[in-house]
Amino acid sequence: MTHSLHRRGTPESLKNDYVLLVTAATNINHQGAREKLLKVLDIVWDVGPANIGSYDAGTILAGYDIGDIKAALNEVPRVRCSFSSQAKIKEAVRRIHALKLGMSVTVEGPTEDIEEMCREMGIQPHSVNLSLDIWGKREELPKEEILEFTTMCGHGLISPYLVEKAIAEVRQGRKTPRQAAAMIGKPCVCGIFNPDRAEDLLAKYTSGC
Amino acid sequence: MLIDPKKCIGCGLCLAYCPVKAISLVRGKAGIDPDRCLECGNCIRLKVVNCPGEAIYEPAGIYETPRAIRRVLSDPTTTHSITKVPGRGTEEVKTNDVTGRVCRGEVGIAVEMGRPCLGTSMEDVEKVTTALAPLGVTFEECNPLTLIMADRGKGLFDPYYRKERVASAIIEFSAEEADLEKILRVLQEVAPQIHTVFSLDVIGCYDGNGVLPLKARLKALGIAPRVNAKVNLGLGVPYVIEKEEREKRRVVR
Repeated sequence: MTHSLHRRGTPESLKNDYVLLVTAATNINHQGAREKLLKVLDIVWDVGPANIGSYDAGTILAGYDIGDIKAALNEVPRVRCSFSSQAKIKEAVRRIHALKLGMSVTVEGPTEDIEEMCREMGIQPHSVNLSLDIWGKREELPKEEILEFTTMCGHGLISPYLVEKAIAEVRQGRKTPRQAAAMIGKPCVCGIFNPDRAEDLLAKYTSGC
Repeated sequence: MLIDPKKCIGCGLCLAYCPVKAISLVRGKAGIDPDRCLECGNCIRLKVVNCPGEAIYEPAGIYETPRAIRRVLSDPTTTHSITKVPGRGTEEVKTNDVTGRVCRGEVGIAVEMGRPCLGTSMEDVEKVTTALAPLGVTFEECNPLTLIMADRGKGLFDPYYRKERVASAIIEFSAEEADLEKILRVLQEVAPQIHTVFSLDVIGCYDGNGVLPLKARLKALGIAPRVNAKVNLGLGVPYVIEKEEREKRRVVR
């Protein structure tokens, strides 16, 4: 289960952060799905994702390319990527919808904006996974600014210490926010970490230093 | 994971990548604390750390020890042999339009133990599952966590795994929407008893007019979901959203 619905941040910061998940279901529609998802990858790549990858290949942030990602699609294939604008997610969904592939398409982002997008496109959404926040020993958690980065990896692979190091290196002038964003995003194996948003956050948290 | 001290050049590159600070430098050599290490695989994954001395390795035989559960529940690149789903749970809402796991009138609950950042002991996971079990919940069959339960009716795990720690363990189940309040009450009671955190997910279906009845139910309980969520657009085939359709399909199978 990707944790993408728990991406943390202000509504402003989350406004242009979208995750697209196209998934075949085991023993229901996974047979023949590989060819369909290759078409989805072509669309997504053409629209221009902020990041894209797969568990089997790795991500463009880590230095793999779309050819590696296509080649690694397995018997139960899935496409995972992030976009940095509402216009791009709309375009990707519009083109995937038009193909009528019969694969499950899920979008993570501001709920009301996604619902509005569905109305505009005549799509009747099926269901939603809502975040009811974090419960338990919250006092043990890293600071909220750190969580904004770490929760962009749905599997919790981004270390808070890596984020601290990245912020320090930007402050010291050893890395640009873009370089630091790429460093933070490398451990996210499926490609939903959004380096554009991370770059903006790094610039925000290091400005005035 | 382990680090070969003969190969480690002491550069310290790997330290910051470990999500639980299990790696430290001692007298110029990196070492991994086996109690802290969750076997997430970050430090050995290609193109992530890229250890210059190629000193980090996975010891042989880990899958024949209780630590196997650390690997399965912490490293999302391990695909479960039965569910064929990588990671720690099911595809939940991501394929809900074709699985019909959660249909109209129902809710899907996921208690994501240890997330974000803290990880969890299996003992803490068991505190939550044993609190939920008396409600009569049916833990999700296609979830690796359920598969290591020794007694699903009581929410007890196989003692073989009870002393382990993992990056995350997702307790998943579905219930009637009317039962949501008592489920949330149990979670409110157990949350202060654990030594970690959990992120809480709730899945609901839209009605035929694009309205989400779950929103009104949550509002009545005084709970506001966060602004962002994961929406299944309903483009999957074969489509199922009513319980009756799901049950018919089960009979056919």
